[in-house]
Amino acid sequence: MRAVTWIIAIAVAAAVCGLFPPFHLVPLKTAAAEQKAKAFDTTRFAGTFWTNRLLPSLDKAVPARELLSAIQNDPPAAKKKYSRSLGLDENYYYFLRGDGKVVSISDDEISLAISKDSTNAEVALETGLVFGDALRDGTGLLNVNDYPNSQDFNDLSAALDRIVETNVIPQLRGQAKPGETISFAGCAEVDDESTDLKPLKVIPIQTLTP
Amino acid sequence: MKTHWLKLAGAVLIATVALLFTRTVNAQSAPKQKIAVVISTLNNPWFVVLAQTAKDRADELGYDATIFDSQNDTAKEAANFDDLIAAGYQAILFNPTDANGSVANVLKAKAAGIPVFCIDREINSTNAATSQMLSDSYSGSVKIGEYFIKTVGQQGEYAELLGIVGDNNTWNRSKGFHSVVDRFPGLKMVAQQSADFDRAKGLDVMTSILQAHPDIKAVFCGNDAMAMGAYQALVATGKDRQVKVFGFDGADDVVKLIAQGKIEATGMQFPKVMARKSAEFADAYLKGKRDFPQKIPVPVELVTQANVAKYSDYGKK
Repeated sequence: MRAVTWIIAIAVAAAVCGLFPPFHLVPLKTAAAEQKAKAFDTTRFAGTFWTNRLLPSLDKAVPARELLSAIQNDPPAAKKKYSRSLGLDENYYYFLRGDGKVVSISDDEISLAISKDSTNAEVALETGLVFGDALRDGTGLLNVNDYPNSQDFNDLSAALDRIVETNVIPQLRGQAKPGETISFAGCAEVDDESTDLKPLKVIPIQTLTP
Repeated sequence: MKTHWLKLAGAVLIATVALLFTRTVNAQSAPKQKIAVVISTLNNPWFVVLAQTAKDRADELGYDATIFDSQNDTAKEAANFDDLIAAGYQAILFNPTDANGSVANVLKAKAAGIPVFCIDREINSTNAATSQMLSDSYSGSVKIGEYFIKTVGQQGEYAELLGIVGDNNTWNRSKGFHSVVDRFPGLKMVAQQSADFDRAKGLDVMTSILQAHPDIKAVFCGNDAMAMGAYQALVATGKDRQVKVFGFDGADDVVKLIAQGKIEATGMQFPKVMARKSAEFADAYLKGKRDFPQKIPVPVELVTQANVAKYSDYGKK
C-alpha cells in the first residue's frame, strides 16, 4: 500500500514538472544572442532619431541673427533665454539656425559672416573630428531620465557625432566656397562665461546652399 | 468672590506649568529622524569626503546621520540595507557598489517606504531611487581625452587602468576617453586592466604593465586612487618622467601632484556639492516634497597644470 502511494506521488510530481518545468536549459549561444537582441542598439536609435525627430525639429532652433545679437548685447540674458544645460552642469548649449556668407575655410572649420554687410567670422561651422554632447543635449529632444543606464545615453553622443562626421561634414566641405551663402542648423557648446564666442563654434546638423 | 478668583488663577498657573512641562518633556524625548549614509568604500579618501560631507550636512539639517561602509561588497551592502531598514532609518543617501547589483537593495528600501538618494554612482533603474545625483563622468573624460591628445600627441603606446567593472562610472569614463583617443590611429592602447578603483591594486597592475610594455608614453586611470598607485609604480621603476599620468576624481593628493608637475590632469568631480545636495534632497523629501528629477548630472571639470591653482580641497577654491 505504501509503495503504491509513493508511486502515485512520484508520478504526480513528474507530471507537474513535465507541465511546468522548474528550469529551462538554454544553449549559451542562444542566451548570448537573446541578451544582444535586448541590448540598446545605439547606432540604430541614433539614425532613427536623426531622421524622424532631429531633422523635423530644425525649425525650432533659434535664428542665428537673433541669438548673436542677444549674446552681443547681454550674454547672461542670452544664456537665460536661449540656452539649455543638463543637471548642474556649468556648460550650456545653443540650438541655432540661419544663413551666412563664407568668409574663410580651414581644415577644422568654415567661418560665416551672419549679420547684414558683415565680413567678420561670426559663426564657425566645425568640420574636424566631432566630440562631446552638444548634439545630444543641445536640442532638448533627448532626456537623460529616459535611459536607466547612462552608458546608453552617453553612447548616443558618440553615435550622433559620427553621423555628423559621416553625412554632414563631407557635404559641407563640398559646398563651401568663399563668398557663397550657406544655410545651416546646428548646436554650439559653451564651456562657461569666459568662453570666447567670437565666432560661435557650431557643430552642423544640416547645411544647404541656395 | 475673592476665593473664586484665587481658584481660577491657581488653575491657570497649574495648567501653564503643566503645558510647559509637557513641551519640555516632548522636546527632550522626541528622537531625531535618522538618515543613513551608505558608501561603497571608505578605503579611498574621495569617498570618505563624500560620506563625511553627506553626514555633516544631514546633521546640520537636524538629523541623526550614520555612515555605513559597504567595503565594495554587494553582500555587505545588502546587509547594511537590512540593518538600516530594521533600525527604522527615514532616508538613505546611497553610493552604490554595483549599477545592477545594487538595484535590489534600493527596491527593498523603497518597499519599506524609505527614500533612497544615489550619490555619484548610478543604479540601472529609473524607478527605484527617489533621485540620483551623478557625476557627468562621460563628459569629463571627453575633456581628459582631448587634453591627452594635446599633451601626449597622436602617436605612441599607452595603458588604461579601469575601475570596478560592474560600476557604470568605470565605463562612462573609459568610453568618454576612448570616444576621443580612438580617433587617432597612431595611439595604441597596449594594456587595459582593472585595478578596482584601488590604490594598492593600481600600484600592482601598473608594475606588471610596465614589465610587459616598458615603452608606454601615458596611462589613463579611471580614478585618482589608481592614478596615485600608478604614479608610485612609475617612481619605483624610474619611469615617472617618461609616462604621463591622467586621473579622474579631483582627489587632493593628485591635485597637489598636478601643481608640482608630476601628474598631467584629472577630472574634478565635486563630491562635496553632490553630498550636500543629496542631504538637502532627503531633507526636502522628509518635509513633504515629492517631485525630484530622477537623474541630475553634476559637471566634471578638467584640472591641468595650467588651471590647478583654482582647485583644492575636493572642489574649486
